[in-house]
Amino acid sequence: MRVEEFDVLIVGAGLSGLRAGLELSKKWNIAVISKVYPVRSHSGAAQGGINAALSNLEEGKGDTPKAHAFDTVKGSDYLADQDVVMFMCEEAPKIVVEFESMGAPFSRLDSGLIAQRPFGGAGFPRTCYAGDRTGHALLHTLNEQSIHNGLNFFNEYFLVDLFKADRRIAGLIALDIAKGELVSFRAPYVILATGGFGRIFKFSTNAVINTGDGVGAAFRAGIPMQDVEFVQFHPTTLFGTNILITEGARGEGGYLFNNKNERFMEKTAPKAMELAPRDIVARSIETEIIEERGFENSYVHLDLTHLGAERIKERLPGIREISMSFAGIDPIEEPIPVQPGQHYSMGGIGTKFDGEYGETDLSGLYTIGECSCLSVHGANRLGGNSLLETAVFGRHIGRKLLKKGLPNKSSLSEIQIAEERAIDNIERLFKSWNENTGKKPVEIRNEMGETLNRNVGVYRTDKDLKKATTTLLRLQKEFLNTQVSTEDRSFNYGLIRTLELRSMLDIAEATAYASLWRKESRGAHFRIDHPTRNDDKYLVHTMIYSVKDELEIKTKPVKLGIFEIKERKY
Amino acid sequence: MVEKHKFLVYRNSGNGKSHYDKFEFPVSKGMSILDALFYIQDYFDSTLAFRYACRGAICGSCGMTIDKVPLLACRTQVSTVKTSKKPAKLPEFKFSDHPEWDPETEILIEPLPNMSVLKDLVVDMEPFWKFYREIEPYFARKWNDVAPESLQSTGQMKTIERLVYCILCGLCWACPVSKENPNYLGPAQLAKADRFIRDSRISDDRQESILSRVLQDDAVPACEKFFVCNRVCPKRVMPGTAIKDIRNNWINE
Repeated sequence: MRVEEFDVLIVGAGLSGLRAGLELSKKWNIAVISKVYPVRSHSGAAQGGINAALSNLEEGKGDTPKAHAFDTVKGSDYLADQDVVMFMCEEAPKIVVEFESMGAPFSRLDSGLIAQRPFGGAGFPRTCYAGDRTGHALLHTLNEQSIHNGLNFFNEYFLVDLFKADRRIAGLIALDIAKGELVSFRAPYVILATGGFGRIFKFSTNAVINTGDGVGAAFRAGIPMQDVEFVQFHPTTLFGTNILITEGARGEGGYLFNNKNERFMEKTAPKAMELAPRDIVARSIETEIIEERGFENSYVHLDLTHLGAERIKERLPGIREISMSFAGIDPIEEPIPVQPGQHYSMGGIGTKFDGEYGETDLSGLYTIGECSCLSVHGANRLGGNSLLETAVFGRHIGRKLLKKGLPNKSSLSEIQIAEERAIDNIERLFKSWNENTGKKPVEIRNEMGETLNRNVGVYRTDKDLKKATTTLLRLQKEFLNTQVSTEDRSFNYGLIRTLELRSMLDIAEATAYASLWRKESRGAHFRIDHPTRNDDKYLVHTMIYSVKDELEIKTKPVKLGIFEIKERKY
Repeated sequence: MVEKHKFLVYRNSGNGKSHYDKFEFPVSKGMSILDALFYIQDYFDSTLAFRYACRGAICGSCGMTIDKVPLLACRTQVSTVKTSKKPAKLPEFKFSDHPEWDPETEILIEPLPNMSVLKDLVVDMEPFWKFYREIEPYFARKWNDVAPESLQSTGQMKTIERLVYCILCGLCWACPVSKENPNYLGPAQLAKADRFIRDSRISDDRQESILSRVLQDDAVPACEKFFVCNRVCPKRVMPGTAIKDIRNNWINE
């Protein structure tokens, strides 16, 4: 067995993982483990921007971190933890300026300062951007700094399972994708930064690789999933492929039209119109489609034509390219066909009440970025806050751990027992997959995705959610007998995708289960049979545990006290 | 109407021996070549190896050669492969002898050219990353998080914008020079160098250091102006033009 030892292991090489790595590698021996090369990570697909109260625009004077925090908390439908939101918004201007000092190619104002644009649910234009490819610009910037600082990468290594020893994290088992061998990585600290898990849905803007490997591994190690019922459906994904069409397109002045040529947003958000928060716009579009005011019963129009060729080419070149390449439509000439699609996971790996931001209940295990639930987004995330979250908490966790110092390692004999047991489990799994005669993984994956889309989507009911939990339970059973060849393990992506499905089924099940439990409507979670918010009963975080192969729900208090709880109106 | 399509896919288990497998299956509306490869992996052969991530032409993972043209598989539609315009004057890419390929009815899928194959459509990108690191593609300013940020005019930003969009997919290594000279840094690498050289915020030291590397024999001077890179680049980075600019601006003749 090949063994690697480090002070800290970071799983995931998107913005969160890289930023944490850059901080920690100043002093410690670290490894960044990623199933793809860093620049392939899904952070790079973020388009619109990163929020910070920099007040670079005249209209932005008067913006403050506190105003940013208020918008974030209100946008979260008051489920976000207010202390951690305040912290993020105070760090925001610093983290954006820091990105610039690293060389990030932001778009600029005539003054030479970083440009900012208006975004949904925000009181001021505070979204900094690099054209409509902000994530790409920032991811490449951190990758460049990683080269400069000699960060230690294990690229194309897939996280399979975590292992514990002496009641703390002791390391993880990863599959070296190229060689096909299992490797034990030992470390007293592990940071999970594995990103979103939107691929549990059939229609998602997420990359194919967004499968929740970290969430699944943590869950199997006893860490709960938190708030996973809160799934952001982005209002505008391209009909057909569900590739993201940035909110920036509406920020730049794009309109939404139904088949009666009405700007239907005036019915649900007469003031904010197209720039209402994402959950509200997504529900409005879904309603138009359900009530037959959409096109082909599937989509509405996002119209940019009135913006003119010059503005579209300058501000939204990526959107134009995507529309032309994937839908054969030039937005200068024609409206873009859009429909809501899964976009972001507000929930994720559960964190400790009153711990460090990102600390889990398992000593030494931390989590940051989309895979985590800190919770800065509560029941609904504002556009421009996800890129922000990645870098703020990547830097923060790095600084905190350095300050805390290295812990006493678990005893070597305990570590050896734990890693051998973990590897034995995985080998048994591989052996059974190779010998099984049941369904192919694709059949299970497709049914899971369709079930979530149909029964755990924009609008939810008790009946649909019960159907989903029943179906998912059956799929879990079928998965035990799934078959895939595990003999030749080198670049065996069929095997990798089966390992991904293993985690996704757990997350899908927990998502349906938590959605069923939460009998209220809050943020992105909308129950037709319980259409209002119920703060008396549900102003709490849900924590889903696996207890003897059954799901069990607990709750965690929300950190309040800075902003008053109010009705959420736009 | 369900239409069946035929695919001829390059296979190589990494031991040097290669062959081609034929697949035929119904294609749904809007199916990309990447979707088709997933279909093969899901239903016919789970061991078919290819890289992927975003499926939206932004991550740069799925570069391959489709009907003899280097393309991103995710952005290439099965239904239009045969009818879309091919870039002019591409060199011929040869991977091995393959059975009769009928260009009229079969879609031929092969790895990226001028890189060694690890398995099936997965190539060894290590030389690509090594040369990328070699041009030192980074700022070395001390990190600062106190506003204001350093200034840059919109015009100065515009001079690097096109270059910034490079996704490091490796299609430009279809360059004939990359084929002949294993030490040639490569078009993407030199375009990235230009991105830093031109950035108004770069320090003189950094600029000199990057220039000193890319002006060596195996870099800018090695370019033979085929401009294959410009024609295959999926992001219109125009690496060949960037190389020309470096030559024009920094080499005194």
